[in-house]
Amino acid sequence: MARDAKTPDTKLSHTAAMILQALDGGFIYGFSIMEMTGLPSGTVYPAMRRLERDELIRSQWEKQSIADAEQRPPRKYYKLTAQGKATLEASRRRYPLLERLIPSEEARSV
Amino acid sequence: MRSSLHCDWARRLLHHGLLRSASLMVPGEQRAEWWREWRGELWHVRQACATAGRDAWRGEREVTAFCLGAFQDALCLRCAGLPARPRLAAITGRPAQCILILGALLAASYAIALLLPGVRAERSLWPRKVIPNLVLIQQEGSTDDSQPTIAPRLFRSWEGRKQRYFDGFAFYRVTREPVEMEPNSIGTAGKSAWGVARASSNLFMLLGLPLEFTDSSVVAADRPAVILSEKVWKRDFAADEHIAGVEVRLGQKMVRIAGVAPDGTLGLPGSVDAWQLSPDADAGSGGAGYVVAHLTPAGKAEMWTQCVHITANGPGDSEEDFLGVSLEEWKPETMTLYLFSLMLALLALPAITSVSLGEYSVNPRPTSWPRRLYRWSFLSAKIALLLPIIYFISIDLAYACSAFSRERAVYIQLVSTFVLFLFGLRWVLKDQRQRCPVCMHRVTHPAQVGQASRTFLDWNGTEMMCMGGHTLLHVPSLPTSWFGSQRWLYLNTSWNFLFAGSTRPIP
Repeated sequence: MARDAKTPDTKLSHTAAMILQALDGGFIYGFSIMEMTGLPSGTVYPAMRRLERDELIRSQWEKQSIADAEQRPPRKYYKLTAQGKATLEASRRRYPLLERLIPSEEARSV
Repeated sequence: MRSSLHCDWARRLLHHGLLRSASLMVPGEQRAEWWREWRGELWHVRQACATAGRDAWRGEREVTAFCLGAFQDALCLRCAGLPARPRLAAITGRPAQCILILGALLAASYAIALLLPGVRAERSLWPRKVIPNLVLIQQEGSTDDSQPTIAPRLFRSWEGRKQRYFDGFAFYRVTREPVEMEPNSIGTAGKSAWGVARASSNLFMLLGLPLEFTDSSVVAADRPAVILSEKVWKRDFAADEHIAGVEVRLGQKMVRIAGVAPDGTLGLPGSVDAWQLSPDADAGSGGAGYVVAHLTPAGKAEMWTQCVHITANGPGDSEEDFLGVSLEEWKPETMTLYLFSLMLALLALPAITSVSLGEYSVNPRPTSWPRRLYRWSFLSAKIALLLPIIYFISIDLAYACSAFSRERAVYIQLVSTFVLFLFGLRWVLKDQRQRCPVCMHRVTHPAQVGQASRTFLDWNGTEMMCMGGHTLLHVPSLPTSWFGSQRWLYLNTSWNFLFAGSTRPIP
């Protein structure tokens, strides 16, 4: 049975909020999120599993042809869902510094 | 060049091995994808951390740390597939649950102490007191204290005269004799050899030594009676309390066990396994033996440290020099050991944990007196329960095996009490530090924030949250001058939206 999707008022730890913000900032791989947030792999990957379970993010494998062209193994990347974006928006109100620590992709491109 | 290539392969093999080991914890249907993702990420981590020269080890350390994180991820996936089990922290999360668990532990350790035969025997033998002013008399100049030096005729001549410095003598001589236990007896059937002390009948009375598990009916019976040493009683008879009346063949005679004499309190030489009390005439015949004597007040006054020099006339009025060595020696009681270990643990405790209970002062609304009293009462209750728990567990461990000698049991009790106190008190303090000052529930959901080497926040450490929504606990990883110890952040009503589902009583 699928779990109920979380509402924007969901309890969200600051670790989870930081990961969502990093994903929104264009850091879409587990290792790049680690580098951006300073969180260890043992925190980031389990947190992303939970966020994916709660349907706040979704994962996808990149095309094999891209990886082959760059002579490296393919990577799994993560994206925010609509629900995840709404939850992140609510978290930003709670943690105003979050956006300053990890600017979103739009903010950085301006 | 070649060695660095080998090292690189060894490291790759290690990282690969770590990921493979972690993958075994992942549920089968997710394993292939999990492995693909981590292997791909490892490739990128290696590329990012690959540095040459002196900092190469730092890069390798980061890659290894990355791989170790795979275990947490694998565990997370494994736990997600299992029905939720209560964690220890969750079980002891509520104050009442914590006290109940400690109470159950106390009851269990006490029950085990009541059931273990070794502990029961030790409890029954606890009141051991050796009569003061006892000395063991030996030839002066004898190099080996364990060798018997007093001839029986000398003992008989002393006993027959009025003495100024002594008011009682007892003699014993140890011989090695074969012993055969009946197959139907409670002892281990078979043949062995015991050191049998044939002693004058007043020996135990002189020593003031209580005999245990005696039965007067067997002493008056037709067969000679022997008294076992505690060591043999534990080793060959499994510390059986109904030992009185059991028959064994000692040498050529059948003898009946009349009781048990405690070990280790006397320090009498001769390695005695069993005592056979006989009339003085019997004890006095044969080779050299040991003489125990009781000093009069005049004799006590002649004692110099633990010895007294004696010049005595022999049977032919020839003067000989002897040395009387005191039999009194310090033997620790279980409670003495317990208190000594507690003192040692209290001294060592600051070396393994902070003895501070954390910072409670940064609170805009001071905590009420009943809340403070509740907090301190909870801490006191935990300590009050921990003290007897450690006492009974250490006794259980020390006397679990009835074959242990008393000396070995003393060491086990000392070490186990010290270790249990050290880590028990550490747990009490750590648990108390992680209790919300408002509701006394344990804070949960630890989140590591920042890394010492990559600090982009003001600080790095762990944050934990009270699920009642009262407080947030900050614990710094590296104490600094501006953030030395853990701090509580009292959450106001603006945090309520994070705790939509919880009941949040007002502090």
